[in-house]
Amino acid sequence: MSKKEFDIKDINLADQGRWKIEWALKEMPVMRSLMERFQKERPLSGIKMSGCLHITTETANLARALQMAGADLVLTASNPLSTQDDTAAALVSVYEIPVFAIKGEGKETYYQHLNAALDHHPTVTMDDGCDLVSMLHTERVSQLSEVVGSTEETTTGVIRLRAMAADGALKIPVIAVNDANTKHLFDNRYGTGQSTIDAIIRSTRCDYSLNQYLDCRQNLCGGGLWLV
Amino acid sequence: MIAGKTFVVAGYGWCSRGIAMRARGMGANVIVTEVSALPALEAVMDGFRVMPMIEAAPLADFICSATGNKHVIDKHHFEVMKDGCCVSNSGHFNVEINLPSLEAMAVEKTTPRNFVEEYRMADGRNLRILGEGRLVNLAAAEGHPAAVMDMSFANQALSAIYVLQNHKNLENKVYSVPREIDDEIARFKLASMGVNIDILTAEQDAYLNSWHEGT
Repeated sequence: MSKKEFDIKDINLADQGRWKIEWALKEMPVMRSLMERFQKERPLSGIKMSGCLHITTETANLARALQMAGADLVLTASNPLSTQDDTAAALVSVYEIPVFAIKGEGKETYYQHLNAALDHHPTVTMDDGCDLVSMLHTERVSQLSEVVGSTEETTTGVIRLRAMAADGALKIPVIAVNDANTKHLFDNRYGTGQSTIDAIIRSTRCDYSLNQYLDCRQNLCGGGLWLV
Repeated sequence: MIAGKTFVVAGYGWCSRGIAMRARGMGANVIVTEVSALPALEAVMDGFRVMPMIEAAPLADFICSATGNKHVIDKHHFEVMKDGCCVSNSGHFNVEINLPSLEAMAVEKTTPRNFVEEYRMADGRNLRILGEGRLVNLAAAEGHPAAVMDMSFANQALSAIYVLQNHKNLENKVYSVPREIDDEIARFKLASMGVNIDILTAEQDAYLNSWHEGT
């Protein structure tokens, strides 16, 4: 374990997080091929990066790929409710990538975490909603000269960035990942379509019976079976 | 259950059309609301009912907003919703639903289930907000499937490398992902799915690049 700081809910969740991260990678063949290439070519060798992204199993695999490319990376949450605490724990303890994210964190903690990510003094930033770039252009202007550019994941962030560019306020180049066809035609449409319906069903109708089922299996089988 | 319910989707961008498509696939009667003529027209031609939110809200069992704008679901919409309406947001920020106005209208607020907050109105109606009005797919589920994030994050990683390697030639503005990166990811994904496609013959390629040959 590196000595870098981090702020997560519970490091003991790491094992559970690791299984989920590995499971997600099985569905990510493009990322697997990039990982192989990055390990050979090391295109981000020694580059300091800060990513403000949803801390999910898929993001964990992006972080691993960037690490394999040689990046010195820290992650912070891009939303107070989207963090998967077990994923955050695995990133810190298994993959040695510092994470600042706790599911349900308050506004104050959220901004402390954004600041912690910029305390890393990144050369390249990665945003999902423009929070790091916004902070660099408002509260931490002195750091702007250290940053050569950023990437932006989502529609909302790209709209904010275009408004900044139109005002002449944007001081770094940004690549709008959302505009890629292989992003918005699939992630936005099929990803949001499926996961939103998933969330509505889980929250309004299904999770109670599912929880009972899991509890029952736990009681019957000594607490281990539900992990299978 | 979603089948047979009226499901209102605010917006008809890429996210909202995904939600509309899947809600219809599960048997909901889907209504789309829009502020731009072109996507509204597409929604109509895709077979959805399109109307203003103030007309859609009283019909809705579910309302989900994915517009990127603020107060898309506002006080005057809450006033006309049915008892039990489930309201959620799949846009990035929690501003699409005007929650402060709902808080002010409510006489009681309870949490009957995880990620469900029920607001009781003075007239006895209960309105439900899912995932505190934050992007519901990440708050109350586990976000997008890994299979699509595979492509999104390949774009992220390759774009980060691109900006690092090319920043000296880039101005301070917003750039699209280079076409070569986009095409490479599409080819990779297709190959990983075991899907092959046809290849242009030399004759076809020449035809597409020529303006001499016509009718």
